[in-house]
Amino acid sequence: MHGWAGKILDVNLTTRAIQTRALDETSARLFLGGRGLGARLLWDEVGAGIDPLSPENVLIFTTGPLTATGYQTSNRFSVSTKSPLTGTILDANSGGYWGMQFKRAGYDALIVRGRAETPVYLEIKPSGITFHDAQTLWGKRVRATTHALGQNNHKRNVLCIGPAGENCSRIAAIMNDGERALARGGAGAVMGSKNLKAIVVEGNTRPEIVNQELFKFMLYETRKLLRASPLTSQALPEFGTSVVMNIVNTIGALPTRNFQQSQFEAGRAEAIAGETLTEKYLVKNAACWACPIGCTRISKTARGEGEGPEYETLWAFGAQCGIDDLPAIIEANSICNDLGLDTISAGSTIGCAMELTERGLLDSDLRFGRADLLAPTLEAMGARRGIGAELADGSARLAKQFGAPELSMSVKGLEMPAYDPRGMQGQGLLYATSNRGACHMRGNMLGLEVLGLPKLIDRFQVQGKSSFVILHQNSAAAIDSLVICKFTNMGVAEEYFARVLTAVTGIPYATGELIRVGERVWNLERLYNLREGFTRADDTLPPRLLNDAVTEGPSQGWVAKLEPMLQEYYRVRGWDAQGVPKPRKLKELGLDSCVVQ
Amino acid sequence: MDERIYEMFREIGRDLYVADMVSSHGGNMSIRLGDRVVIKRRGAMLGRLKPHDLIETGLEKNDSGVALASTELLIHRTIYQMTPALAIVHCHPRSAIAFSLSRDEIVPIDNEASYLLKKVPVIWEEFASGSPEMAKHLAETLAQYKIVMLRGHGSFAIGQTLDEAFHWSSTLEESCQIAVAAKIINEPFLEYRGMSEGYAKW
Repeated sequence: MHGWAGKILDVNLTTRAIQTRALDETSARLFLGGRGLGARLLWDEVGAGIDPLSPENVLIFTTGPLTATGYQTSNRFSVSTKSPLTGTILDANSGGYWGMQFKRAGYDALIVRGRAETPVYLEIKPSGITFHDAQTLWGKRVRATTHALGQNNHKRNVLCIGPAGENCSRIAAIMNDGERALARGGAGAVMGSKNLKAIVVEGNTRPEIVNQELFKFMLYETRKLLRASPLTSQALPEFGTSVVMNIVNTIGALPTRNFQQSQFEAGRAEAIAGETLTEKYLVKNAACWACPIGCTRISKTARGEGEGPEYETLWAFGAQCGIDDLPAIIEANSICNDLGLDTISAGSTIGCAMELTERGLLDSDLRFGRADLLAPTLEAMGARRGIGAELADGSARLAKQFGAPELSMSVKGLEMPAYDPRGMQGQGLLYATSNRGACHMRGNMLGLEVLGLPKLIDRFQVQGKSSFVILHQNSAAAIDSLVICKFTNMGVAEEYFARVLTAVTGIPYATGELIRVGERVWNLERLYNLREGFTRADDTLPPRLLNDAVTEGPSQGWVAKLEPMLQEYYRVRGWDAQGVPKPRKLKELGLDSCVVQ
Repeated sequence: MDERIYEMFREIGRDLYVADMVSSHGGNMSIRLGDRVVIKRRGAMLGRLKPHDLIETGLEKNDSGVALASTELLIHRTIYQMTPALAIVHCHPRSAIAFSLSRDEIVPIDNEASYLLKKVPVIWEEFASGSPEMAKHLAETLAQYKIVMLRGHGSFAIGQTLDEAFHWSSTLEESCQIAVAAKIINEPFLEYRGMSEGYAKW
């Protein structure tokens, strides 16, 4: 096998047994790696009804066939587990250096199972794999832990949880290389429940590439395309992901005050946009390993310096909370990174708490616009202290507890990101059907409906929208299985990725076959959720978006027209009217052995 | 039919005719709308499309629409079933057709097409373009390339939108016109592209 390391590392924290087994070649071909391989392994490992925070759940860290090859953005890796936030299948992926280093350690996947009696960390080195006592690290924040364990970007890389993960906050992230996040769905809580503080990796192998000539040509062409695209060569390096803040606000799709409005008032979106961030607080941009784009922000305020914030974070603590105090948002982002909290869920949950308070359902000081309360609220969430204890498990549990579940702006329990589906109809269908809950990284209609990538389509069109959503969901699943960064896809089409995969593995993959891998992954994830008891009723949006039309701005009068899109979506997916994949579809994808009782 | 869909067909159809990429009644195009296909009516003129010239039918299932649809419906359906395409433009670009008569592939020498297309395969079948054999062959090739030439006939381009498929079509024809002009000038070619040997192997 070329491209894959060919080995899976299996670690049992309860017994401290360490095993290595061969990667199944068929699974590798069908699911590639990353999210796809993670889903395939999780299907067998974690059956229906398992408590996500019990020792029976597993964490599966995966790389892909492109990881560490040196192809542009081939730094990423993935974690798969059963989500303690949503109860669905979960994968989250991250950039930086850790994934590259783990692949160089000679593994395609690491399965962590069981629960350590006391806190430990795991060290994976060419000389061996060892458990270390982590009792002195327990309680430490992410930056301190990362530093204490000897983070060195190109040699030794640290992945860890912060206090939020230790306290099993269901919106806790796993952090790597200090500031990067496997953010969504609460994987940090799973790691905390296992008493696993960190995983340190050192590697010294290099992936073999079968067709060097083609690989070099693809590197050359990809570099050319990324440099030619204004998005990847100018917008992202100069302004980061928040370059889209003003664009999304202008079209009336920027959710504001817990999605009560779809536009932030004049001047207020600008105050938290990428342009302002760059002008006032940017120290420099930075890049993950093998990335020529460099969208990472290094920002500095009077209170400190750190990576970020991303667009979604600026929105979550900004428009979602009615806040335009950029230093306060930068600080909130920094606190989340250090506590190990998902910024989207944290910000959205605070926004939900603000609305609950303003409606008299929650007794707190949290009100829209209270930038001064962001930092203390986040600290309380990480420590599960006071009001923070109510917010630490996300908005769905919070809103339900205080009698207004409809005020959680989430799908399947995962907080929605920074696009209002009423102004981007396809995005609504995407959120409703995303397997890990509302997500903008499981396909994103921003390109087609707003940016014109590859070409602009009507954002209010309903008929036929499912085709676009499905194509982008499948494509995203394939890219997540390679694993590379989706921003590469802003300048480089899937046909390039198929050829790079061919060059690396020696296995011919046509563009259509690569997309088919994504379809296979998507369907397997769907089967996983069905096995957990999810139904058609879970493929929905918060009532506010379905019933309350936008009252002003460019999306005025629109609600999310989900139902006709959803019916069409099921048909096009080859699923029945209840959203269950038909036997013919499963056979076509080679998934007929995955049976849901 | 959604007015916006008609507008899209009308504009691209008109552009194809004005650009001399189809004859009065030649060429066709379609989009995939979920499990439905919208395709030009048989015999309709791309340059003068009216709302009733757009025929909606099933992607897999037949209905009365097949009686009205383009004769190349089978090809369009097969392409949608075998590739990620959401739109197809079929036209008759003259210079590209001329090149297809003597080559098994068209490798652009101009910058734009080198950048966007790399290489365009030329395929042929003994049977007519509406045959199942041709449909399968074409769809298999389009699983790897975004535009393909049928020898002596025309191009099939795929994309997420008609706009995108038209982009590949017009890029190919422009490239072939440049190649013809370069042949007429008949002076030694000065390579200006890095790693250009990679295009022929695409």
